[in-house]
This record gives sequence, structure tokens and C-alpha cells, in this order.
Amino acid sequence: MTKIITCVDGSAISSAVTEAAVWISKKLDKPLLFLHTLEKEQQHGADDYSGAIGLGARTALLEEMTKLDEQRSKVALQLGIKLLEYVVNQAKTSGVKDVESLQRHGDLIDSIDDIEGQTRLIVIGRSGKGHDGNFSVLGSHIETLLRKASHPVMVIPSTFKTPVSFMIAYDGRETADKALQRVIDGGLLHGLHCHLVSVKNNESYQKDKFAAAQQKLEDKGFNVTASFIEGNIHESLIEYKEAHDIGLIVMGAFGHSKLRQFFLGSNTLKMLESSKVPMVVLK
Amino acid sequence: MLEHMKRDWLSNIRGDVLAGIVVALALIPEAIAFSIIAGVDPKVGLYSSFCIAVIIAFVGGRPGMISAATGAMALLMVTLVKDHGLEYLLAATLLTGVLQICAGYLKLGSLMRFVSRSVVTGFVNALAILIFMAQLPELTDVTWHVYAMTAAGLGIIYLFPYIPAIGKMIPSPLLCIVALTIVAMFLDLNIRTVGDMGELPDTLPIFLWPDVPLNLETLLIILPYSAGLAVVGLLESMMTATIVDELTDTTSDGNKECKGQGIANIGAGLFGGMAGCAMIGQSIINVKSGGRGRLSTFVAGLVLIIMVVFLDDWVSQIPMAALVAVMIMVSIGTFSWSSITDLRTHPVSSSIVMVSTVIVVVATHNLAFGVLIGVLLATLFFSNKIGRLMMVKPHFNKTDNVRTYEVIGQVFFASAEQFTKAFDFKEAVETVIIDLTHAHFWDITAVSSLDKVVIKFRREGATVTIVGMNEATATVVDKFGVHNDPEEVEKLLGGH
Repeated sequence: MTKIITCVDGSAISSAVTEAAVWISKKLDKPLLFLHTLEKEQQHGADDYSGAIGLGARTALLEEMTKLDEQRSKVALQLGIKLLEYVVNQAKTSGVKDVESLQRHGDLIDSIDDIEGQTRLIVIGRSGKGHDGNFSVLGSHIETLLRKASHPVMVIPSTFKTPVSFMIAYDGRETADKALQRVIDGGLLHGLHCHLVSVKNNESYQKDKFAAAQQKLEDKGFNVTASFIEGNIHESLIEYKEAHDIGLIVMGAFGHSKLRQFFLGSNTLKMLESSKVPMVVLK
Repeated sequence: MLEHMKRDWLSNIRGDVLAGIVVALALIPEAIAFSIIAGVDPKVGLYSSFCIAVIIAFVGGRPGMISAATGAMALLMVTLVKDHGLEYLLAATLLTGVLQICAGYLKLGSLMRFVSRSVVTGFVNALAILIFMAQLPELTDVTWHVYAMTAAGLGIIYLFPYIPAIGKMIPSPLLCIVALTIVAMFLDLNIRTVGDMGELPDTLPIFLWPDVPLNLETLLIILPYSAGLAVVGLLESMMTATIVDELTDTTSDGNKECKGQGIANIGAGLFGGMAGCAMIGQSIINVKSGGRGRLSTFVAGLVLIIMVVFLDDWVSQIPMAALVAVMIMVSIGTFSWSSITDLRTHPVSSSIVMVSTVIVVVATHNLAFGVLIGVLLATLFFSNKIGRLMMVKPHFNKTDNVRTYEVIGQVFFASAEQFTKAFDFKEAVETVIIDLTHAHFWDITAVSSLDKVVIKFRREGATVTIVGMNEATATVVDKFGVHNDPEEVEKLLGGH
């Protein structure tokens, strides 16, 4: 059975991530898998700038560096085990029956990729260790993860409140239609009040598509508020969100190639940076 | 991609910059010393070190590894320079780069798996010995001052780091060079200095196409040298990469490194430098000083050129004895000391491989020959060992007068003779059964010796039946694509 992959790293955000994961797990009736990766930190040098190498220098250096790594890894391993124990307990007391944990060495993205086959949804905090308290910084992994993951990703801010409504931005493009279909097919958002929002531009066909999208959602039993708003895409979306006290935002994955996005900037990424509520990025 | 670049370049700025500076100091002596051995001006080696280090920083497959003009390569160029001159060396450098890029595209980096641990150790030791031997001309027919200077230099290099507080902050090779230069200038000693060895760079390198006729004759002159340079360069680079991999517990991209070495050599050739490759000693210094990213290699090249171009009046005053001391340190640091103590515990065959590699290199001054001999010997020893994993069990059924031979193990060129000998042709039996179910026939030699056995038995009047032929010969085919398919491997290894 596919699982809710929940990434925890022991930073302050981990408890919000856990709460969100518990909510999702119950809603989708899928088991939880807590993933903790031991990422290799860049080794520091031996602070030895003598530049002198003598007999057996290589063996001695290898020995020294292995020792440094060993000490650090042992501590990290223990901390990780404790953390996983803690979150698994937390999830179990919150009523999730099927909870597992997994600890892997290496890059987070690679680890997520390795268990791709058993993934239903990925839950991750918007920024991890080293960013605690600094809101505007998006975690270093988020962008790469969103690009590489083949499953929906839910990005959680520092606190989690069970959402009662969600907002989905619709621009008539193929990616938006796909996202809409995923909302309908998935079970996570059923029962939540849906705000279907489109930022106005001059393309005329959009209006019909927009109405069709609303119809589609309503047919599936969603309670829909549809709105046209004007202005800069991400600013007006954020404004709308604030005004209607929306608890969750749904976005399609990035619209264009990395190269274009590098110059144009991506709305999804901008939303991620300024959003203070959980965001589901559909793939 | 951007993230990779950030990680490779900017994740360790302080460590990389400091390490790069330390490494630059160990690059200069090698570049100067081996330019002289190759028979060209020091500026050729220095330009080369600059170009290679800076280019490989961008295109190499192993962040944190140092590449520049090296002794191993310089030793291969001696006769080319002597017979044809510098321009042909530059052309050969370009061709070396092209060959290395081809090797990268043909993924020849993966051939390194045939180079065993003993051969690598032999290579490293031989390299250390070559670097040391290259210093000897500076130490023969000289006054006692030079010996005293060299000894003092080594003393500074090895003892200074033990001084608390500052010992590990200032590179001791730098201190050695500065101290000995000051002493030589004040005492006005009449000993050789870098300035006596030829022209030093006074400008940044400039682009120039080698001045050689572009014809077949030229190609035939430079091709043998370029091929040798390409092979040695890649061998040393691959081996250095594995050493850095091991030290930093990270991985590298061998084929990218091959291509990178090629591009770097082409760059060096176009800017008046000679071919180079990765350097074991300097890479160890880099890692030890905290260098991990591409920035360290880049800084090393940059610092080197700044020092020699802008301080050239001072650089030319450096006594050769100081550089000799630094190079002796590099040689000692490169040598695998544990390989000497391991001689007692390692199997004789691997010791023979290691020592033969060293001897051949020292005798020919060509690391490629040493590796070739080492790999050959290692392969022979290995096939000999595997050849012993074969056994023929005879059973006899008296009532039917049937002799069964059960063949178990590996039958190939090394064990074929033993296989044939295991049958008793003198025995008078009516029926002979050869059971191959648990045997592997690896090559044509094995198959033809089985044919021989069958024919011999037939001539003695016996009826021969072979059991399990298909299983046994499944391994004869060259492409029994089993690498990725565990099920296939299991089938092949059935019964073992």
C-alpha cells in the first residue's frame, strides 16, 4: 500500500509536519512513514594549513577523517532514532494505527526518490534545520523536491491548523486542468469548502473554461465559491487568501522549464515563499 | 544543476581558499622542477599548472582534486623536446587532450576496475621514487651549502608544524622557501637559483597555436608521445580521484574527469603549457588543509600565477635547494609507507605485482609500462588461482563397466591442461560419462580440450556420453549479459 511520506529533521517545524501528516493519514486512510535522512555535512578541514605531508600521510589523514565522521555520524544517528521514536509515538497517540519510520543516509531528495514506489503523498516542512524562525527563507530542498517528485507534495509552515477550506488557482492552462482533476480524484480535499480563483487576464476563452471547471467540481460534491480577481498573480492570490481566511492552497507544479523559470520567476515558488498556510503542490 | 554548482563551488569557501593557497606553494616547485627535467623553461610548466588547475576546476569530475603540470608526464616528454623542440611538445599536449576527451566519451574510465590495489600501490610508490630521483641532479656535484640548505629546508617543513599556535597556521613549505631565499640572499651564496634554470613568466599566458606543420609527419612524431601522455595522465588522475574519494567519503565521475583532463590539456597546450594531470601529493595536501570544493583547485591555480608573475624577481632568487626540499616532502608524502610493512602480511603474488610495477616504472621512467606489467601479472596470478578451482571426481560402476567423471569448477585456458590430465585413458571401460552439470566452461580452450578428451576415449573404444553440456557452456558466450540480472547470475552459478 502506498504511504504518506513524512519528512522530519528535528527542527521546530517537525511537530507541525507531524500534525499535518496525521490529518492526511486519517483522511486518506493511508499508513504513515516518517522519513529521517542523515545528510552528510561538508567535512571541515583538520585546521591544518601546514601543507606538510610526511611518511604515511595518506593513511594518517584517512584515519583522522574517518574518526571525525564517525563521531559526528554516531551522534546524528542516535538523535535521528530518538526523533523518529518521538514522532511515531505522537502519531500513534493521535490515533493513526499504521505508522512506520525509516532512517537513511544521504541526500533527502535521493532518499525520497528511492521509496518513490510506495509513495502516495509527501509531507515536508517549508524550511528545516538552520532556518528556524526565519520565515521568508524557503528550505533548500523544497524547489528540487517539487521538481523531481512524482507525487503530490504538501509543504507545511511552522504551525498547522486543520483546514476547513482550500483555494485553487485556475489559469485555464493544461497544468491547471490536471491539478483540478487530481483534486477531484484524490480524497484529501473532499468535504472542504473550495475557493476556485482565477486572476483576470485578456484571454477570452478562459471564462468558459472557468465555468466548466466550477461545474466539474460541483458535480463531484464540492461546495464551490468561484471568484475572478485582478492584479499581479501572486499578490492578489495572497490577498484573496487573507480575506477569506483560507486554510490550504492547492497549486499545480511549475509551469515552465527551469531555464524559463530562472528568468521569469515561478508563481508557484512565489506562493510557496509568501504562504503562511499549508500548500499542496500537485504533480 | 544550479544547486550542484553551488555545492561544488561555494559550500566551503574559507576552507577552499586557504587550502588553495597552501597547495599553490606545493605546485610551484613541481612545475619548475619538472619543466627543467622535460628540457623546457620553467615558464612552460608554470603556465601549464595555471591553465590546468583553473580549467579542471570547472570541467573536472572530482571536486577538490588538484591537477597541474606533473612529474609523471614531464618524464615522458624528455626525448620529444630534445629531438623536436618546444612547439612539438605543445602540439603533443593538444593531441593528448583530444585523446583523453575521446577516452572520456568511450567511457574508458571504467577500465580502471582492472587495475588492482597492488598495481595502484606500485604506481604510487613508483611515482614517489620518480619525484625523488628527479631531485638528484640538483644534489650532485654541488657544494656542501646545498646539502645544508636542503636539510634545513626539510627541517623547517617537518618540524615547524609542531610549534604550538602558529605551527598549523602558516604553510611550512612557504616558510621553508622564504627562509632559505633570505639566507641565500644575505650570505650571497653561490648556489643555483630558480632564475638560473631558464625563463620565468613575466606576463599572463597568451593564446598561441603551436608553430608546427600540420601534416602526417608531425602527427606521426607526436602521436606516440601523446598516447603515452594520455594514458599516464588518465591513470594518475583516476588513481588520485579514488584516493580523494576515499579520504572525503564522496564519489567522483570518472568519465567526466577523463574529458575534463582532456579539455584542461588542450587549454594548457594553447597557452604555451605542457601536458599535466592530477597530482596525488598535492591533492592530499589540499584535503588535509580543508580543501573540498572546486574552488580550492581554482584558487591554487590563480595564486600560483599571481605569485610567479608579480613576484618574478623574488621567485627567481629562490634557491633550488628550497624547491628540492619541498619536492622531497611531496615524494615522501606520496609514498605509501604502509605498503612496505604490508609486504610481510600480503600474499606473495600481490607483493610481486606491486614490486614489479615499481621496478618497471623506475627502469623505464614510464608509468604506463609499469601499470601494464602490473595488470598483466595480476591477471596471470588471478587466472592461476581460479584455475585451481577445478576438480574431476571419478566414479566407477562395476556391474555395467561404466566410468563416470564428474567435473566441478572452472575450466578455461589456465586449467584446461589439468582438466585433460584428470582422465584415465588407459583404463579399459566400455562407457564413459562426463558429467559437466557443475562445471563452467569459460572459453574455446576449455571446449576444445573436452573435444580432445572425447576423441581420445573414442579411440580407446569407449562410448562417451556428456551430461550437462548446455549448463556448462553457457558461460562461453562473451555476452552472457548477467551483470544486472541476479536471476541469470544465479542460474550460472548454480551448484557453486
